[in-house]
Amino acid sequence: MNVIRLWLNFVRVGVLGEIQYRVNFLVQLLQSAIALATALIVLALIFSYTQTLGGWTGPELLALMGVHTLVGGLIHMSIQPNMERLMQDVQNGTLDYALIKPADSQALVSVREFRLWQGVDVIVGALVIGYAVYQLREIFGWQQALAFAAALGCGAAMIYAFWLILTTGAFWFVRMENLLELWQGLYSAGRAPVGIYPDWLKYGLTFLVPVAFAVTVPAEAVTGRLTLETLAGAIALAAALLVGARWFWFFGLRRYSGASA
Amino acid sequence: MTVIRVDKLSKSYFVPEREAGLSAALKSLVRRKTREVKAVDAISFEIGAGEIVGFLGPNGAGKTTTLKMLSGLLYPTGGAAHVLGFVPEKRERGFLTQVTLVMGNRNQLQWDIPALDSYDLQRAIYGLDPAGYRRTRDELIELMQVGDLVRKPVRNLSLGERMKVEFIGALLHNPKVIFLDEPTLGLDVTMQRRLREFVAGYNARTGATVLLTSHYMADVEALCKRVIVIHNGTLLYDGDLTGLGARFAAYKTISASFDQAPPALDGYGEVMSTDGLRVTLRVPKAETSRVTARLLTDLAVVDLTVEDPPIDDVIEKVFNSQAVG
Repeated sequence: MNVIRLWLNFVRVGVLGEIQYRVNFLVQLLQSAIALATALIVLALIFSYTQTLGGWTGPELLALMGVHTLVGGLIHMSIQPNMERLMQDVQNGTLDYALIKPADSQALVSVREFRLWQGVDVIVGALVIGYAVYQLREIFGWQQALAFAAALGCGAAMIYAFWLILTTGAFWFVRMENLLELWQGLYSAGRAPVGIYPDWLKYGLTFLVPVAFAVTVPAEAVTGRLTLETLAGAIALAAALLVGARWFWFFGLRRYSGASA
Repeated sequence: MTVIRVDKLSKSYFVPEREAGLSAALKSLVRRKTREVKAVDAISFEIGAGEIVGFLGPNGAGKTTTLKMLSGLLYPTGGAAHVLGFVPEKRERGFLTQVTLVMGNRNQLQWDIPALDSYDLQRAIYGLDPAGYRRTRDELIELMQVGDLVRKPVRNLSLGERMKVEFIGALLHNPKVIFLDEPTLGLDVTMQRRLREFVAGYNARTGATVLLTSHYMADVEALCKRVIVIHNGTLLYDGDLTGLGARFAAYKTISASFDQAPPALDGYGEVMSTDGLRVTLRVPKAETSRVTARLLTDLAVVDLTVEDPPIDDVIEKVFNSQAVG
């Protein structure tokens, strides 16, 4: 069975589960509204003093913010819940039931959870990007749209591979929930274009933690500043990370001990 | 036909080890000492098609580890296992679609939704054809007598009910080999019996091979003709359940009834219980016939029976004795 069909089946189950809890939807809506409002206020505040920030204009930064929200929504909707569950499963030895299924183990552990209501952030992010694109309509054409889609895909793939590699570490270190906190901090740095940070942070956010590729690069595509080289680099790095994560996953799996013995 | 072949299978773990206390804990933060634990140490056995084999051993004996190696969840560190001709740890689709694992106290069904929805997910994962799947599912629901329980969210079911719907979920793909790890753990006696009957019936109907671990001897006695006993990762016994008593019981119990209160019987053997005019004695196996003869000549015995001790006691004795070869 291919990964997409497997994913769709789990999405169905995830949706069935989430629909039982309608309050979560309202809470998520509220949370997204507050996050959006504070981010907009900060942005407005900054641009009441200056015309550009690190070479980015107001509408461009709005596009960046939209990408940040959208990617954050994708992470919370699918990547993070799956990796958290994987971490718990390795800790408690409950990975057994995933491994006994006749499906690719990496695919299976990556699609089991789906948080429907986190999708609010994806929609809010898309709306913000849409509004920014409307303001930037002189420079946004179909090339930009294509480049954006490609960059976004690469960014999501890199984040996924990055998380999978970290989570696979649980086979050795067992408890690693603190990584999540670390991640939240680093990801919030992506709300500004990484170019404005000092070099060490810039490179850290690009190569150690692929926040730059997940947020800044797609935003560059929207704002027409993405070069072909960067896009090619993003595709190559995404492919390399995916291959590496898959190899590491099977390597770590050999160390799974089932926890009960 | 041999379905499971295990040849010198071993699994060792490296476990962190430290003294109690804060300073030792801090020390182990910097330098971690580990110790190699042999959970399973070169065990070998074969199981034929359609057999129900009980896998016995105290906690930590290596039962679950072996079961998990046979179902492809754990990589062995030595030796080899073949199940249905496959090497389990390769986890090929052809293998995984023919085996299943049920663990007591663990659930694989989705917590928030009715079991029926989870079953549909299983169908998709196993790639079962819809008509055959529905037939198997409805048949299992009928056999397990769960009725409408499959329509309630799993979280609202009792432990026993949950175990029943779990069993159904684990058998939807008609597995040829079934691994049961303490399937009746925590269930009440009625529910235990219901599940036992189900497993026995399933085995008789489908000819599936069953490997079962359980701490409830009643499970093993009801289901398994053959048992494999392991202790500290090594194989102690592999054979008939009845033979286990003959091999390991060093004692027999003699119950004698008298028509009037007998004198103290301490001279004949260890008095285990006195119930009115009936006395139960424990005597070394070798002396059974001599003590029986003495009882019959010395006293007015109305009725006398000689039995192997209950299998529970035998098992306990096996586990407690380290020197069994």
